[in-house]
Amino acid sequence: MGLRAYSFSDAYMQEFDVVVIGSGPGGYVSAIRAAQLGFKTAIIEKYAVMGGTCLNVGCIPSKALLDSSEHYYNAVHHFQEHGIDVAKPKINLKQMIARKSGVVEKMNGGISYLMKKNKITTFHGLGSFDSSKTVKLTKEDGSSEVLAAKNIIIATGSKPTILPFIPVDKKRIITSTEALQMTEIPKHLIVIGAGVIGAELGSVYARLGSKVSFVEFAEGMIPTMDKTMGKELQKSIAKLGAEFYFSHKVTSASVKGTEVTVKAQDAAGKEVEIKGDYCLVCIGRRPYTDGLNLAAAGLVADERGRIAVDEHTLQTSVPGIYAIGDVVRGAMLAHKAEEEGVFVAEVIAGQKPHINYNLIPGVVYTWPEVASVGKTEQELKTAGIAYKEGSFPFKALGRAVASMDVDGLVKVLADATTDEILGVHMIGARAADMIAEAVVAMEYRASAEDVARMSHAHPTYTEAMKEACLAATSKRALHA
Amino acid sequence: MAIDMKVPAVGESITEVTVATWNKKEGDHVKLDEVLCELESDKATFELPAEAEGILHIVAKEGDVLPIGAVICSIEVGGVQVAVNVADAAPVAAVPLASVAAVSSVPAQVIEVKVPAVGESITEVTVSVWNKKSGDVVKLDEVICELESDKATFELPAEAAGVLEIVAEPGAVVAIGGILAKITVGASVVPVAVVVSDAVAAPVTSAVSADASYASGHPSPAAAKILDEKGVSAADVAGTGVGGRITKEDALAAAKPASASAVAVTPAVSAASASVASGSVASGSASVAPERTRREKMSSLRKTVARRLVAVKNETAMLTTFNEVDMKPVMDLRGKYKDKFKEKHGVGLGFMSFFTKAVCVALKEFPSVNAKIDGEEIVYHDYCDISIAVSAPKGLVVPVIRSAEFLSLAGIESEVVRLAGKARENKLSLEEMSGGTFTITNGGVFGSMLSTPIINAPQVAILGMHNIVERAVVVDGQVVVRPIMYLALSYDHRIIDGRESVSFLVRVKQLLEDPARLLLDI
Repeated sequence: MGLRAYSFSDAYMQEFDVVVIGSGPGGYVSAIRAAQLGFKTAIIEKYAVMGGTCLNVGCIPSKALLDSSEHYYNAVHHFQEHGIDVAKPKINLKQMIARKSGVVEKMNGGISYLMKKNKITTFHGLGSFDSSKTVKLTKEDGSSEVLAAKNIIIATGSKPTILPFIPVDKKRIITSTEALQMTEIPKHLIVIGAGVIGAELGSVYARLGSKVSFVEFAEGMIPTMDKTMGKELQKSIAKLGAEFYFSHKVTSASVKGTEVTVKAQDAAGKEVEIKGDYCLVCIGRRPYTDGLNLAAAGLVADERGRIAVDEHTLQTSVPGIYAIGDVVRGAMLAHKAEEEGVFVAEVIAGQKPHINYNLIPGVVYTWPEVASVGKTEQELKTAGIAYKEGSFPFKALGRAVASMDVDGLVKVLADATTDEILGVHMIGARAADMIAEAVVAMEYRASAEDVARMSHAHPTYTEAMKEACLAATSKRALHA
Repeated sequence: MAIDMKVPAVGESITEVTVATWNKKEGDHVKLDEVLCELESDKATFELPAEAEGILHIVAKEGDVLPIGAVICSIEVGGVQVAVNVADAAPVAAVPLASVAAVSSVPAQVIEVKVPAVGESITEVTVSVWNKKSGDVVKLDEVICELESDKATFELPAEAAGVLEIVAEPGAVVAIGGILAKITVGASVVPVAVVVSDAVAAPVTSAVSADASYASGHPSPAAAKILDEKGVSAADVAGTGVGGRITKEDALAAAKPASASAVAVTPAVSAASASVASGSVASGSASVAPERTRREKMSSLRKTVARRLVAVKNETAMLTTFNEVDMKPVMDLRGKYKDKFKEKHGVGLGFMSFFTKAVCVALKEFPSVNAKIDGEEIVYHDYCDISIAVSAPKGLVVPVIRSAEFLSLAGIESEVVRLAGKARENKLSLEEMSGGTFTITNGGVFGSMLSTPIINAPQVAILGMHNIVERAVVVDGQVVVRPIMYLALSYDHRIIDGRESVSFLVRVKQLLEDPARLLLDI
């Protein structure tokens, strides 16, 4: 206790208005906004590089590999039809992974630059609570120091969920992190979980030539999204030769030499055995607060590891401590964490920002991409809301035909009475970019006809959105 | 069906009004009780709430002068058909048609909880706390919320059993008869009915036209933030965007109560970011303090107090006379008997009883100090109902000691204890606070040496007590130390002459400096 009392009065103890723990998309964005608002800000990162899961082992590297695999797939299957004759393309996996790592490094540097530019003090080390007003920083060399903070933002993110009966050895039975560092292309990759991450990484290796088997407990792919999306995505991925074991409950996984065996029960309770050379476990992510010493701040995580926050301020039960991103309730999405990061910095500055959680888009970066915002058809049915549905397929779109990206559709759900757009679900080329239009429209509570009456450039993929809105308004799409 | 809305009778002497501003446009979809326009009379400005939900058709333009009873606008109501259509179209087969109708077309099953008439002079109340949430099932006579008027706090019991839907949020000021909440009788169907009624809220005509008035009053993301920071409700802003949407410009222009605080935030922040740009970031934290002012809505008690104090200053000829009292005799008497007094009467012997008693005697001798003005007449009170100012949690209250002239010192003390206790718990009834004829206030408890109290209208005089301080005074040619209290009497010179006011105060002084006079009535 004597030591602690000394550290409190230590004239050299650094003091900040805002200390952010974690430099993922939520944390570093929050730090920038806090600095913009004039707060003396510090950010603590456990790893040597900035950017968190998203940048290092998530969104960015997986997109780098998705695009590489897509190029390869096109070279093998589509170049000839485009009139480009090339010798049979070969995969240089080492280069592919190296390029991905280069992308990540470039982005790491980008964040460090932004921290410097905004005069944010960066600390590398493990941040943990010392009290509700101080954070202890333990550096890699074992030394430590205590930072005083008027406000502390917890942005420690999440880690892949691991089940006890699946022995992840990070060599043959792997998580998404290892899937981004492969040294060989699997011959048969068994993917446990066909949600967003499983679909993305599974499709990468399917395009690079792996046989991919998806084992999923739910009835279809990406089960949290509108059912039409799951069905369409399955059709596209099936074309890559993938196999699907839906309504299957995994009971065990084991490794023998280079062979992985996954056992599962189908809906009828019958045991199914699948053998491959790699097994990728993508059953979800858990909030990550390990080593944070929440108790010292008077905080406790709930039974799912999340930190409870006030809906209006994102403040935890302890005044001056806030939490954002994957460690709090809501979708585990980088852009949701970013919104919350900005939100909290503005709350600390006494402003009253808003986040419309219903309008945070969900995206799956497969090819074709899947994107959605607002309510699914299932949710509207459950809520008893009368709605109209309008869809438009990409294959009827000039631009899609020209590019040979004809898989997919846009589906618009609108209120039966007011025509207000309640949900937009799209699967197809560039859906991830196109969903922004739906978000803008819905933030302004546009009707389907409003969007249908706005000019959309021709020929573009966005015409599918206009046509789907026409269809939703009164079944009068022009090109269907 | 269209409902004609007419200029309401707004006051006895008002025969016509001018239409000042329309908050809604022709063809807008308006909700029940939403403010449509502002009317001006020669006395005041007031708002006209919609009498029904529907499409607005404006008859009188801004600037038009209308007699009371003239038609201002009409509202086209189309709820019933919509309700039926939606019920047919909705894929919710389980919803009985009757339950949909219960919300939209048969209001008998939805009971509106209105502000009851709580007292003659009370015109509005403030909602202080809801004990129940929207969607809660409430029982008959269960207390659902607390209301605060300028005089008292009271509880509101549920008029029926059912599901509660709160209309007036805490802090809202609602006129007598205004709607506080709705209770839907027949709980099980409600959640579905509410969903459907949301859809019903939009008029049929907007379903296919681009003029989607369901979004009327919907703020854009930037506008929502600005409005929240200003403390302005979106319902108070007339949206100029498509379909009545509130644009950022509308929000910036919405100059409601807190526009000054928003201004206060911006320069502080931009100054701070400027300091970041120029590189001097480290020392900035103190100057960053984002808000140095806070804005809170005045309670109705505070508003009434403010209005009355200004009225008294403006409408009376108030001035103050002073004197000093040597408190030694009263203090000696009290020191000698306070234990026995407490033993016998169960209440402590304070100074209040002496002052009250002395005032009663003096009031009998100078009846104009115990009077009030009513039009062109003076009303003399042949009784002494003494108001005593008490500091309560929500502000100053003035309960009344009835017929104080007939009470013993012990009787007065126990009344003071009883009333002050109730005041602290906000439990004083209106009756206990009305009808006083003269007021005593004691600034001495807070340490005041001398101050000029304001008359508690319609009374015409108030006695101010102050702290007791040992001062050097001259008695019989000798300088001695005595406990002295300054007294102040503020009075309305319109009916109390200087001779009476000064003599009244001198008489109070005499009685206190020689308490035996109280006993002997001399």
